[in-house]
Order: sequence, then C-alpha cells, then structure tokens
Amino acid sequence: MKTLSRKQFGYLCLTPTILIFAIFGVYPVLRTILISMFRFRLQTGPTKTFIGLENYIRMFSDTRFFGALLFTLGFTILTVGCEVVLGLLFAQMMNLPIKGQGVLRVVVLIPWAIPTMVSGFMWKFMVHDQYGVFNQILMSTGLLDSFIPWLSQDGTARFILILSDIWKTAPYVSLLILAGLQTIPASLMEAAEIDGANALKRYFLITLPLLKPVLATAILFRIISSFKVFTVIVALTNGGPGYATESLTMYTMRTYFDAGNYGYGSALATFTLLLTCVIALFFTDVIKNKIDAGRRGTR
Amino acid sequence: MKVIRKSTIFSFYLFAVFFIVLIGFPFFWQLLNSFKYERDIFSLTWFPSAYTLENYYKAFTVRPLHEYLGNSFIIATVSTLFALVIGSLSSYAIGKTPIKGKTPILLVVLSISLLPPIVIINPIYTIIRSLGLLNSYTGLILVNILFTLTIVIWFLTPYLSSIPVEIEEAAEIDGASPAQCFMKIIIPLLGPGVFTVGILAFIQAWNEYLFALVLNPITIKTVTVGLKMYEADNYMPWGTIMAASAIIVVPLITLVLLLQKRIIGGLMTGGMKE
Repeated sequence: MKTLSRKQFGYLCLTPTILIFAIFGVYPVLRTILISMFRFRLQTGPTKTFIGLENYIRMFSDTRFFGALLFTLGFTILTVGCEVVLGLLFAQMMNLPIKGQGVLRVVVLIPWAIPTMVSGFMWKFMVHDQYGVFNQILMSTGLLDSFIPWLSQDGTARFILILSDIWKTAPYVSLLILAGLQTIPASLMEAAEIDGANALKRYFLITLPLLKPVLATAILFRIISSFKVFTVIVALTNGGPGYATESLTMYTMRTYFDAGNYGYGSALATFTLLLTCVIALFFTDVIKNKIDAGRRGTR
Repeated sequence: MKVIRKSTIFSFYLFAVFFIVLIGFPFFWQLLNSFKYERDIFSLTWFPSAYTLENYYKAFTVRPLHEYLGNSFIIATVSTLFALVIGSLSSYAIGKTPIKGKTPILLVVLSISLLPPIVIINPIYTIIRSLGLLNSYTGLILVNILFTLTIVIWFLTPYLSSIPVEIEEAAEIDGASPAQCFMKIIIPLLGPGVFTVGILAFIQAWNEYLFALVLNPITIKTVTVGLKMYEADNYMPWGTIMAASAIIVVPLITLVLLLQKRIIGGLMTGGMKE
C-alpha cells in the first residue's frame, strides 16, 4: 500500500470533523433560514407554502417578540457589564502576591462548574417569598420591612435572574482577566512608578490597554453566551410573571414546540442568528486573533 | 520584590472572606437544607436540632435520580471521548499538515462555537427524529459532539501549531509515515492537553440542557432535565430538590477540586467555554 503524503493524511484527519459540522451545524443553519420563508405549522401537516418575508413582517407587529428582544438585550448588557467590572476588580485582588491566593482561585471554579439548572434552583430556593433565606437576611438587617415575592414581580424577577447570572459567571470572567494580568511584565509597572505615575494612572494607561485583547475576547464570548439565555430562566421563572422574563430563545422554543409554528419559529431563530452576526462584527479583531492563534501557534 | 503595605494585605483578606462567603453561600445553603426536615426548611431555622437523610432517600425514590446520573455520565463521557479523538486528528491536520483552506475551517469552528443553539434546534430535532434516535443515547451524544468538538479544536490547535516541525521531520527521514508520526510523536505530546480539554468538554456536556430537553424528553433523561421533574404544580419539595442538586453537584465539585490546577490552567490559556 502506498503511504499517504502529509497533505493527504491531513485531509483524511479532517474528514470526521467536516462531516459533523456539515450535518449538525451548517445544514441546520441553512435549513432554518430556508424554513423562515415558509408558512409551516404542525397543525396543518407537512405542507409548506412559500411566503417570502411575511414571517419577518409579522415580527414587527408582535409585541411579545419585542418584549423578549428587549429583555434579552437588557439582560445581556447588564450581566456582561457587571461581570466585566467585577471581574476586573476581583482579578486585581487575585493578582496580589499574598498568601492564600490558591484558595480564591479554587473558589472561583465552584459557580462555574455547577450546572445552570442546578444553580437556578439554588437561587429559586433562596429567594422564595415565604421561606427564602434572602428575604430573611434582608429583613433581619433592616433593609426590608416585609417579605418580597421576588419572582412574582416583573422588576424583581428580572433583577434576580441577572444577579444569579452574575454570581455564576463573574468569578469565571475574573479568572480570564487574571490570565491577562499575569502576562503584563512587572518591570513595566515598576518603571512607570519610578516615572511618578500613581496607581490609578498606571491602571488606566498601562494595565487596561494591555488587557484589551483578553477583555475583548472575554466580552465577545460573554455577550454571545448571555444573549442565548434560557436554562436559568426555565429554572427560576419560566418566563414569568406573564412574559416579563421571556428571552428570545425561550419565545422561539415555545413558538416551535408549544405552538408548533415552525415557519415563524425559524424566522425568530434566524433573527437571533443575524443579531449574533452583528455582535460578532464588532469583534473582528478577536476573531482574527483567534484564527491566527490556530494557524501560527501563538496564543 | 515590591513590598506590600499592611493595609493592602488587610483589605485583601477582608475581600477574600467576603468573596468566599458570597460565592460559597448558595452552595452551603443547598447542602445544609438537604439534611433538614421539611418543618425546619419552612420555618427558616438555620441550624435545627435534628437532621435527616430522608431527602436523599426521596431524591432517588420519587424520581429515578440514579438513572439520570447514569444517562448524563454515559452521554458526557462518550461525547467527550469522541470529541477528543476527532478533535485531536483535526487539530493535527490544521496545526501540522500543509492542507489548504485552514482559515475557512477555523472560521467555521469559531462560528459554531459562537452559534446560539436555538438557531439549529428544530432542524436537529428533525434529523434526529428521522434517524429514529429521539430518546436515545446516540442522538444526544452526536449533538453534544458538535459543541465539545469546537472546544477541543480551539484548545489543541494552537498547542499543536507551536510544536516545532523538526521533531516530525527527523522521524520522516527515518521512514515514518504521517500516520506513524501522529501515533508515535504527536499523541504522547498531546497527553496533558487532551486531559485538560477533556475535563472542560465533559463539564460542558454534563451541564447541557436545551438539546437534552428537546431530544430526550421521555426516556434517557439527563440530570439537568431530570432535576426539573421534581417540581410539582402546586408544591415544591425543596428538601428533595436540594438533595438531588447536591448529588448532581458534589461529584462535579470534587472533580474540580482534585483537578483544579489543570482546569485553571486550561481556562486561563484560552479554553473558552460557551
């Protein structure tokens, strides 16, 4: 048998990945985009009628869709914003050369490793209106006069969802930022100090600019991940009260599997895809860096 | 080394205590309440005089938690193993062989790792149904491979690209084929990297909910789907839910504590999850 050249062997190695990506990634994306241009419902059987952009036009007059979109955007901005600010702060503390840092780095992993469904239930239990420890603590410290039904009011339900996401993810973000901080040479900071730059100035003129690539990567991945929020909502509020905490993913899921409207569901899913692409366009540097890292072996 | 002021050290420890309490409290509260009688849970007694294992007994008898655990374990393990094998082959192809189209391939890998699952859920449901694989191990494993594979490729490709090509060239001069090079040289070098990324992929697959809900709603339920089953319409058996959660989480936390060095290293060198 003739031995394969390196190039041929390379293509052979790549085949399984390409098959999986094509069947379970690329084809489903194209299929969703296609179906979004059809009237296609479970109730009317397998008949699909081409209707062009009608499903998209319907979205403009769908208040439930706008509610879900606004909630998802608000959730994404607030969670990612808070997580980055807290992450920067935590990472700064975790970078101090003081004994006991190892413990912090391990503690940080706990919320990250817990499945979202489980952490959702932990929070649901803590904020329960009658026997939730959250109410008890707030009352005993005098911050509250009476128990609040956190998950049955629009504003507080949203607040708890955001808080639980920050609890779960800010520590992880701080670990990513810490990795960036550790690549900044100490000599650089010392030189700036000798030149008379105070701590605040050093932070904004040296640390932050050098952290930019790490921050941009973390922010991109966090935005995308926050934007597809679903599981934590299932655990905590199921979209309620009313539709107050229904995310885009949750509304799309219900359009598909509860209402059986595959055409309109596909249009909603395609909209999510488009928004994701728009977000990614703001981070072309990150994408370029990631691809270069794969090609050249520099991280 | 720079001298650190006493006040800095003091505020660090203050911060550390605050941080640990804040992060650890929900987990601590879950564990504590999983051992309480229902009356103590409902009366918000922090440290009651009596504790019980009843909740743990119920967690396994009210619902088949052992089955959920087994299913999740099988699905997460098998999809991780497949992703590791397929992913290291691909990383080798991208990182070390002179194939064409590396940039488009990497772009597809990145796009899939950023892709919101909702975009593909319905066609995937249709594919898996037409293959007769709803409520099976295979269907969910196949879909899990898609996302764990991207983690593996992202992690291993830069790692492989940075291994100097001379090592393999020397072997090729001695008459080794590319396949032999991969088996004899690359695989041993990959060892630690594969292990680290394997943990990250396993955790991703273990925690997955959306596809598990849609593809396996009736049988072969995973832990994330199963946990939701304890909820009744007008009654929340909190003690049982907390016990079930503890059982789901404790092995995971143990794993994380045992392998913390590798996981931290893995996350910090760019193993971006989700």
